[in-house]
Amino acid sequence: MLNVTDLHIEIEDSFIPETVVHDFDITVSAGEIVGIVGESGSGKSMSALAIAGLLSRKDMKKRGSILFEGEELLTTPRSRLRQIQGDDIAVVFQEPMTSLNPVKKIGWQVEEALRIHSDLPDDELKKAAIRMLKDVELDDAENIYDKYPHELSGGMRQRVMIAAALICDPKLLIADEPTTALDVTIQAQIIELLKRINREKGTAILFISHDLSVIRSLCSRVVVMNKGRIVESGSVEEVFNNPKEEYTKHLIGSIPGFTKIAHVTQSENTDKILEVDNVSARYKKITGYFQIGSKQKLVVKNASFTMYKGEIMGLVGESGSGKTTLGKTILGMLDDTEGRIVHYSQRPQMIFQDPYGSLNPTKTIGWILEEPLRINTDYDKEKRSARAKEMLSLVGLDESYLSRKPNALSGGQRQRVCIALALMMDPKLIIADEPVSALDVTVQEQVINLLVKLNKELGISILFISHDLKVVYELCSRIIVMKDGVIVEQGTDKEIYDNPKDPYTKQLLLSAGYTD
Amino acid sequence: MDKLVFKIKKNPELYAGAVITAVMLLVILLGRLFVPYDPDAMNAADKFARPSLAHLMGCDNFGRDLYARLAAGGATTLFIALATVLIGVVFGIIVGAFTGYYGGALDEILMRFNDAVLAFPSILLALVVISIMGSGTFKVIISLGIVFIPSFARIVRSEFLRCKNLDYVRSARLMGAHDLRIMFVHILPNTFPVLLSSTVIGFNNAVLAEASMSFLGIGVQPPSSSLGRMLSDAQAFLFMSPGYAILTGVTIALIILGFSLLGDGLKKNA
Repeated sequence: MLNVTDLHIEIEDSFIPETVVHDFDITVSAGEIVGIVGESGSGKSMSALAIAGLLSRKDMKKRGSILFEGEELLTTPRSRLRQIQGDDIAVVFQEPMTSLNPVKKIGWQVEEALRIHSDLPDDELKKAAIRMLKDVELDDAENIYDKYPHELSGGMRQRVMIAAALICDPKLLIADEPTTALDVTIQAQIIELLKRINREKGTAILFISHDLSVIRSLCSRVVVMNKGRIVESGSVEEVFNNPKEEYTKHLIGSIPGFTKIAHVTQSENTDKILEVDNVSARYKKITGYFQIGSKQKLVVKNASFTMYKGEIMGLVGESGSGKTTLGKTILGMLDDTEGRIVHYSQRPQMIFQDPYGSLNPTKTIGWILEEPLRINTDYDKEKRSARAKEMLSLVGLDESYLSRKPNALSGGQRQRVCIALALMMDPKLIIADEPVSALDVTVQEQVINLLVKLNKELGISILFISHDLKVVYELCSRIIVMKDGVIVEQGTDKEIYDNPKDPYTKQLLLSAGYTD
Repeated sequence: MDKLVFKIKKNPELYAGAVITAVMLLVILLGRLFVPYDPDAMNAADKFARPSLAHLMGCDNFGRDLYARLAAGGATTLFIALATVLIGVVFGIIVGAFTGYYGGALDEILMRFNDAVLAFPSILLALVVISIMGSGTFKVIISLGIVFIPSFARIVRSEFLRCKNLDYVRSARLMGAHDLRIMFVHILPNTFPVLLSSTVIGFNNAVLAEASMSFLGIGVQPPSSSLGRMLSDAQAFLFMSPGYAILTGVTIALIILGFSLLGDGLKKNA
């Protein structure tokens, strides 16, 4: 049905034209699910957007051929392309928060493609939209029809996006990282939904993801991309069980959750580093003029746990479970808290999730690293920069980075700088809030290895906050599971992964792909 | 060379604006330095003199050299605009930083006051201030400066609101940095890209506001020259000596054009 051969994509926008996709070939037969996998910047989204005809013809030069049902999409006139788009080929994007128009009602947005491609009257459109919403397992379809995007959760929005994409009954659905921005349990539900749609309607799906485990559970064939080229392709079993190329092996080896990196057991150390006793935290929601009225929301409820020296402890939960709030409470960053927190070490530090937001873009790396010393010590310039160099080399960056600004660094390099920054004041406890979830798998692995190295060599205790049970499995010796602000279970890695007691923990493990 | 062509193609406003502004500044500077006439010296013999080698742009109704007066007037206008914007930016940063960073009642009160000031046309407000303090170059600067504070305060405030919850600010707080350091060392530089383009646009508005006030006779007082003042004088001789009004008008227009293109270009770059 879809046959792409020898596709090259060149960006004309910059001064020197840059080829971002080379020799791209892919075939998708009717009713098939094919995956494209690769790290960010590998050209996978570019190729998919080219197939969907969504790349500007002016700025992006394309060579090769994209045959869809025998029609050449690269040369077909724009008017014909518009007929195909939305009707025969539909796209679901990654970000459910921005891919719906915030000022239009859900129903209107689901109907839009059908409104364009057919001349059905309004009541027929509405019927079709509601049927479609029910089809994507939104049970309250009549109600949702009249809602605005901001009234729905991320998972529901992604279902709406899928409904909007499928309303014209397309032959090919291009899904560009549709589950990446979602929690694990929701992720698993969306994957199930896509499988069902494929089975029942026979819609072919081109599924783009950086997440190999998702590709593995969904696709029959897979194409592995790196730096704009296809490095390997074949059936999923073939590629996963018997990868031929070095890059594919490397990629599969970086999937977290298979090997244990750190082996620190609790019994090795009984000196406490942190004690959290019956801690609650609430957020004030400010309402009304002059900020007088306020609502309170309890985000963490009566949390208690103890951390020991030299241990890496995992704090697991979905978004909104209060895990980040608990981390901030421990560091005293929130005002409205109750309970007792005892630190047995000086200056605990935090590493934030988003390596793009946690470094000041107007300062050099050197300036940023020296700032804590500037504030807290009377070190002179030389002493400060010596310490900065030392910490940079500890995280695996050389001193040439001192004079660079954050925007000249990749996500992984930035996260290394953030770790170096946390180390500047020689802390004994670091709270790491989702430090790798914004990174590619291979970079993720490097950063995790770095954290483990710091733990082993410097004896730093780490409270590792994450939604990703696979990553947590790799490096944590004890794990706390949070749900809706409450700690539902805590125990050693063995207890949690081999013998979970709480039903929520079981559900989390199941969605992460741990079966029994 | 090719690279320069590409850069210009990508942001033509910036380069066009920079060239026009540079030329205008150069013309004014040359006029101040090398024209051998006192801009205020009258000479009955040269009344309405046509452009010649002695008087490049001719003379006005009092026989004063027009180029010398344009250069002096342009300089006055630019100086007033610069001082005005400086007052607006400095106080705007202070008000915007504190209201944006701390929020709360202070923010509400100052911002409502801000809204009230913004609701009136700036000329009208400046008029009120002038009528209380009296006119003159220095007073024009003060009155326009006050009027310009709210718009900058608003811009700085919104940038502070955006930045204050970013992780690098949190991380600075975690290091133990005090509030003033966070506001002026960590956050402030992040507002510069936005602030720069609005400063240039504000500068433009200040040039226009000064010209209008002087045109109405409530700005710079004679015999000092300013572009607005000259335009007002020239309208009486529009038919007798059209060059007087045209040259003055073109000077104002080019200054405004140069700076507004520059502002647009900077906005594009930010």
